[in-house]
Amino acid sequence: METAVLFDNVTVTLGGVQILSGVTAAVPKGSSAAIIGPNGAGKTTLLLALLGQMPFSGRIVMDHGDRPRLGYVPQVLDFDRGLPVTVLDAMVMGRQRRPLWFGHARKRRDEAVALLARIKADHLVSRRLGALSGGELQRVLLALALQDRPEVLILDEPSAGVDISGGSLLCELLDSLQIEQGFTRIMVTHDLSMVAAHTDYCICLNRKVFGQGPTMETLTAEILAATFGVHFGVAGLDVPQQIIGKHCDWPRHQAEHRHD
Amino acid sequence: MIDLSPLYQTIADLFAFLANTTHCRALDCMQARFMQQALLGLLLLAPMAAAMGVQVVNFRMAFFSDAISHSAFAGVAIGLLLAQDVHLTMVALALVIGLAITSVGRRSSLSTDTVIGVFFAAVVAFGLAIVSREPNIVRDVQMFLFGDILTIGRDENLILWEALLFVALLAFQVIGYNRMLYVGLNPVLATAHRVRTRFYQYTYAALLTLVAIFAVWTVGVFLVTALLIVPAATARNLARSAGGMFWWAIVVGLTSAVTGLIISAQDWAHTATGATVVLVAVVWFAGSCVVAAMRCPGKR
Repeated sequence: METAVLFDNVTVTLGGVQILSGVTAAVPKGSSAAIIGPNGAGKTTLLLALLGQMPFSGRIVMDHGDRPRLGYVPQVLDFDRGLPVTVLDAMVMGRQRRPLWFGHARKRRDEAVALLARIKADHLVSRRLGALSGGELQRVLLALALQDRPEVLILDEPSAGVDISGGSLLCELLDSLQIEQGFTRIMVTHDLSMVAAHTDYCICLNRKVFGQGPTMETLTAEILAATFGVHFGVAGLDVPQQIIGKHCDWPRHQAEHRHD
Repeated sequence: MIDLSPLYQTIADLFAFLANTTHCRALDCMQARFMQQALLGLLLLAPMAAAMGVQVVNFRMAFFSDAISHSAFAGVAIGLLLAQDVHLTMVALALVIGLAITSVGRRSSLSTDTVIGVFFAAVVAFGLAIVSREPNIVRDVQMFLFGDILTIGRDENLILWEALLFVALLAFQVIGYNRMLYVGLNPVLATAHRVRTRFYQYTYAALLTLVAIFAVWTVGVFLVTALLIVPAATARNLARSAGGMFWWAIVVGLTSAVTGLIISAQDWAHTATGATVVLVAVVWFAGSCVVAAMRCPGKR
């Protein structure tokens, strides 16, 4: 099994507090991997370290070299909503050399509209970025992340800010895009039903790694109790069938979209 | 040395034609050579300030330009103490301060405005400390407090440097406008998507520093930030897209500069040119607020 991303003894300390302690994990190439853990477990910190936005000790090795094509969908985009930037501007500004004050290049406009249409967001093309709802913005961010045909797609809580059906639709869309483009997907989430239905690899993190491997083998009561705390163990539930919700059509997705 | 006389003559002829065509006697002031020099200096400075101002507003860096302009005190003080050309020491110190703020801001866990505030305090305190020791310096420092619209136009070396900066800045805006917009939207997202954020941030800081120092010479320390942000803020109210924001800023910057210069030269006004230019831009801004309110009547 080839490895797309290897976290080798990654430790992050901020203000004297150890956020991550010797995290060692491997994300298989072409997999759909979830990083799960409770609040404050260091999930987003690990993603930021992967993106080069967080100082860390240890190594992060990527299969695609020093400067791989990454796509990143943040949990919340901290931006100035008063900025007069349209969705088309946003889609084009990372790809078009000609300054936007000379207009959009036809080729770039067509590419952007086609990609937005692929994620059912082409009706947003002329809207201002600051006027989008949470779910609409999530789609545009996904389109932004996909337009460079990423080798690794990184999503931080992709279902946050969207309702259950919206989250499920987003996951199904991601599944089909992954089949088309063949990228490796790394997703941070709290949503265990999403993990069970739409991922095939799982890393359980709470400052350190408590378990990793194929999703269905890793989501055991013991590992979840160790990762999330005692309440999972007390509940005495079989996982994933009972802990996870039923809104995703597990196990059909798992069978269809497994990449190993 | 390049002889700029033909350029000044062209300006004189153009305004003579406009005055005759429109029967507007207010334009007669442009026949004086010093007005032509002032106009040339402003025609170079205003679009640079407006274009850079778009990113100052996007990056929320108004305080940065304030700190750079206030480093003028310390720059002048150092120049006079070391018996060097004060223009040179102002530029050198401002560049050091601008790049240091960018570097510390990128590395420190402190918020950007806190980092800028520390540098701001340091340069102002240093400048005042030196000035208080050397009373003879006070007059030279005052010159930069209020600026002189003719500083650049009178000195052909300075106007050539300004023209060079104009070309460099134009090249940077052509190459980097889109990527700078991305960085302004969200630097983490831009970096993740292979935008060379660090390169753009440092280059932008260096160019903004140089524009701010030219603006100090022209309109004075107090009005540098206004020259940068008022056209850009107006453009934000009027524009509907990222490209439109740029053009609106240029239009507001240029029209404010020319109108302000002409008004300041009228007998009935007789005001400081820098301040008049900024006031015209503020009128533009007030108008843009009305337009914005009419577009979104429900927004409070």
